[in-house]
Amino acid sequence: MSDNVKIAVEEWLDSHWDSENRRELGSQAYDERSWLTKVVDAGYAAPSWSREWFGLGLNGRDVRDIEKAFQKRHAPGWGRDRFHLGAITIYKLGSDELKGELLHKLLCGPICCLLYSEPGAGSDMAGIRTRAVKDGEDFVVNGQKVWTSNAKEAEYGMLLTRTDIDVPKHEGITFFIFPMKQEGVEVRPINQITGESEFNEVFITDARVPERYIIGEYNEGWKSFQVAIASERLIMGMGVTARSSGLTSDKSPALLRLARKHGRLGEASLRQEIAQALAYRQLNTLNMQRAVEDIKQNGMSSLMSLGKLSMSRIQHGEARISAKILGPQVLLEDEEDARNANFDAAKAYMNSIGGGTDQIQRNIIAERILGLPKSADVDRTIPFKDVKTS
Amino acid sequence: MSEYSQEDRQAICASFARLLEENANEPKLRELIETRSGFDRELWQKMADMGLTGITIAPEHSGAGGSLEEVEALLEIAGGFLLCGPFIESCVIAPALLLACEDQEFAGQHLQAIAAGSSIFAVAGCGSSGDWDELPDVVAEQQDGHWCLSGSAHFVAYANVADHCLVAANVQGEIGVFLVAMEDPAITATLHKSSDPTQRLSTLSFDSVRATRLAGVDEQAWSGALVNGLVALAGEQVGGAQRIFTITIEYLKIRHQFGQAIGSFQSLKHMAADLLVELESATSVARHAARAIAAGNEDAATMSYLAAFTCADNYRRIAADAIQLHGGIAYTVEHPAHLYWRRAQSGQWAYCSSDRLRDLYLAEMEKNHE
Ligand SMILES: Cc1cc2nc3c(=O)[nH]c(=O)nc-3n(C[C@H](O)[C@H](O)[C@H](O)COP(=O)(O)OP(=O)(O)OC[C@H]3O[C@@H](n4cnc5c(N)ncnc54)[C@H](O)[C@@H]3O)c2cc1C
Repeated sequence: MSDNVKIAVEEWLDSHWDSENRRELGSQAYDERSWLTKVVDAGYAAPSWSREWFGLGLNGRDVRDIEKAFQKRHAPGWGRDRFHLGAITIYKLGSDELKGELLHKLLCGPICCLLYSEPGAGSDMAGIRTRAVKDGEDFVVNGQKVWTSNAKEAEYGMLLTRTDIDVPKHEGITFFIFPMKQEGVEVRPINQITGESEFNEVFITDARVPERYIIGEYNEGWKSFQVAIASERLIMGMGVTARSSGLTSDKSPALLRLARKHGRLGEASLRQEIAQALAYRQLNTLNMQRAVEDIKQNGMSSLMSLGKLSMSRIQHGEARISAKILGPQVLLEDEEDARNANFDAAKAYMNSIGGGTDQIQRNIIAERILGLPKSADVDRTIPFKDVKTS
Repeated sequence: MSEYSQEDRQAICASFARLLEENANEPKLRELIETRSGFDRELWQKMADMGLTGITIAPEHSGAGGSLEEVEALLEIAGGFLLCGPFIESCVIAPALLLACEDQEFAGQHLQAIAAGSSIFAVAGCGSSGDWDELPDVVAEQQDGHWCLSGSAHFVAYANVADHCLVAANVQGEIGVFLVAMEDPAITATLHKSSDPTQRLSTLSFDSVRATRLAGVDEQAWSGALVNGLVALAGEQVGGAQRIFTITIEYLKIRHQFGQAIGSFQSLKHMAADLLVELESATSVARHAARAIAAGNEDAATMSYLAAFTCADNYRRIAADAIQLHGGIAYTVEHPAHLYWRRAQSGQWAYCSSDRLRDLYLAEMEKNHE
C-alpha cells in the first residue's frame, strides 16, 4: 500500500517537475498558480483529506512519503493540509456550498490572513468590536484589526466579527472568510522590531461579505475560531515560525554549527548550554511524535497543546546562546552571523506573543488539560454592550 | 526489538502495579525505610515469582525475555511507589554484563539465580567521584593465575543486601568487570546514612579480594550496560515525577484560600503548566530511548544520554516545585512530597551528573553532525 503511494508520487513528480530548474517540466519559468493547480488536482496538496475534497484519504507514513518526495525535489505545494490555515478551517467547518466555491481556489494559491486581533482585543479575543450587520444577502463590516500578518498580499482573511451586542461576549461572534481585495479595506503596514513589516493595521469601512461566507454558524463564531486557533498553535508548536526551524532537521543543528565555526565548542559552560538547547528541541520533537501516536490510538492528544509553549523556550534560548557564542561581535551587524542572531532574538517573540501569549498558553494548559479552576473573567456573563474597555 | 505485544506489556505492568499497591504502599514504605536494610526480600521474591527479576533475562535462563521497553514501563510503575531495592543493578545492569560474558556457562547459572530471586547483585561502578564513566579506583591485578581486587568502590547501591557484586576495576588503564561474593571477608562494606531514606549506599573496600573476571566484558560492554541502567533509571524517574505531579494537581483543586481553590491562582497555574511540559518531555524521551535500545537503533546512545539528564533534572524540578505548590503541609515528614524530592535528589548523582551526561550527549550530537 504504502510503497504504491511512494512510487506513484515519485513518478508523478518526475514526469511533471523539473527539479534542476525548479519549475514545471517543459515550462520557461516557475508559475506558482499553474503548478499549485496541478499539485492540488493530483491530490498531493492535501493528501490527508477525503477524495471528495481534493485529498487522497491517506494518513501517517503515506503522507510523509509524499511530503518527502516533494521536499527532495524542491517542489512546492506539499502540506497545504497542514499549513494553509484558511483552507484547513474551511475544510473542517465550511458548508458544502462554501467548500465547493472556495476550497479549490484557496489551495491553489491565495494567501489567507487572520483578521482576529484588534486594538482593544488581544489576549481577550472574545472582546472584539468589529461589527458585521446583515444587509440583504450580505453582511456589512466596520471596524479595525491589527497585527494582521501578510494582509497586503492576502486575497482572503478569516474575520472575527461582533454580530450581537445584547448577549455575553462569547455568544455574539460570527466568523467569516472575507474578501480582502475590495473598496473599504485599507491596509497599513507596521514596522516590526525584526526590521520586517509583515504585519499590518487593517481598517474596514462598509466592506461587504456574503452570508454564505460564514464559517460555522451565525453567532457561533467563537466555536469555529477555537478550531482555527488550535490549528495555528499546532503549526507554531512545530517551530515553523523560526528561521532555524526544526522542520529541516536533516541540517546540522544551527548552534552546533555556529559554535564550531567560532571555535567555542570546547568551552565547558557553553557546551552545557548548547546541549540543553539541542535537548529542548529534540524533546519537543519527541513530544509531537508521541502526540501523533496518541491521536492514532485515542483520536486526540493533550500533548499537542504543549508544543507552542515549548517552542518559546527553544527559540528565545537558542537566540540567547547564539549571542553568547558570538560575544561582543554580536554588536556589529556587518557580519551575517550577528545579523542572524539579533534577528532571531527579536523574532522569538513572534512565537511567545503571536497566536496567544505564553501566559495565555499556560492558562489553557492548566485549565483545559490539568482541570484547574478557570480564572475569573469578570465580563464573561454580562451583555457585551455593558463590557468595560481600556 | 521487543518481543512483547503492547497488550502483554500492559498486562505485566498492571499485575506489577497491583503487587506494589498491596506490598509497597505508603504505610509499608514508611515502615521499610525505618529498617536498617531498607529492603523487603519477601516482596523481591514475589517479583521474582512474577518473572520480574528476570525481565531482561532470556527464557533459556528461566527469564522473561523482555527488552528495555518492558523494563522502562515497569520502572515507571516502581518509581511511582518509590520502590526500594537494587532492581536496576540486579535486574538490568548485572544481566547485561553477564550476557556479554564469553563464558556463558558461568554466566548462565548466575542469570538463572537472578531470575529465580535466589541471588541479588550489586554493581560497583565508580570511585569517590561518583562517575561511572571514569576509570574506577579499584585496581585488578593477577597473582598466581588469579585476579585480585584492591582499592575502594563508592556509592554502591544495596550492597548491604546483595549476595554478589560486579565490580568495575582498572586493569592497566582499561575497564574490566569482576564478580565477587559479598560474604568474602576481605571485603569491608560500610553502610552510610543516605540523604534519600528510600536508598541504601555503601562504600566497599577491597583488600586483595580474589575475583572472577567476566571474560570479554570490555569498556564497550560496560558502557552498553551503563546505558541500559541510565534508561531504566529514567523510566523510574518518570514514574516518580508523574506520581508527585498528580498528587500536587489534586491538591491545587481541593485546597482553598481567599475563598477559592488555590489552583485558580495564576502564578500556581503557570508553574503547573510548565511542569507538565517537563513531565511530558521526560515521558516521551524515556520511552523513546528504551525503544531505541530495544530496536538497536543507531541513535540509542544519544537518546539514552538525553533521557538520562532530562529525566533526572525534570524529576528534581517537579518534586522541588511540588513542595512549593503545597505550602507548609509538604514541609512535614508525614507528607510524601519530601520522599519524592529526596529520591529525585539522589537520582541526580546516580551513575554520573547531569552535566556530565549533557556533555556526553553533545559529543554524540557532534559525531552525528560532523
Ligand atoms: C509577529 C506577530 C504576528 C501576529 N499576527 C497576527 C495575525 O496575523 N492576526 C491576528 O489577528 N493577530 C496577530 N498577532 C496578534 C497576537 O495574537 C496578539 O499580539 C496576542 O494575542 C496578544 O495580544 P496583545 O498584543 O493585545 O497583548 P495583551 O493581550 O494586551 O497582553 C499584554 C500582556 O498581558 C498578558 N495577559 C493578558 N491577559 C492575560 C491573562 N488572562 N493572564 C495572564 N496574562 C495575561 C499577556 O501575556 C501579555 O504579557 C500577531 C502578533 C505577533 C507578535
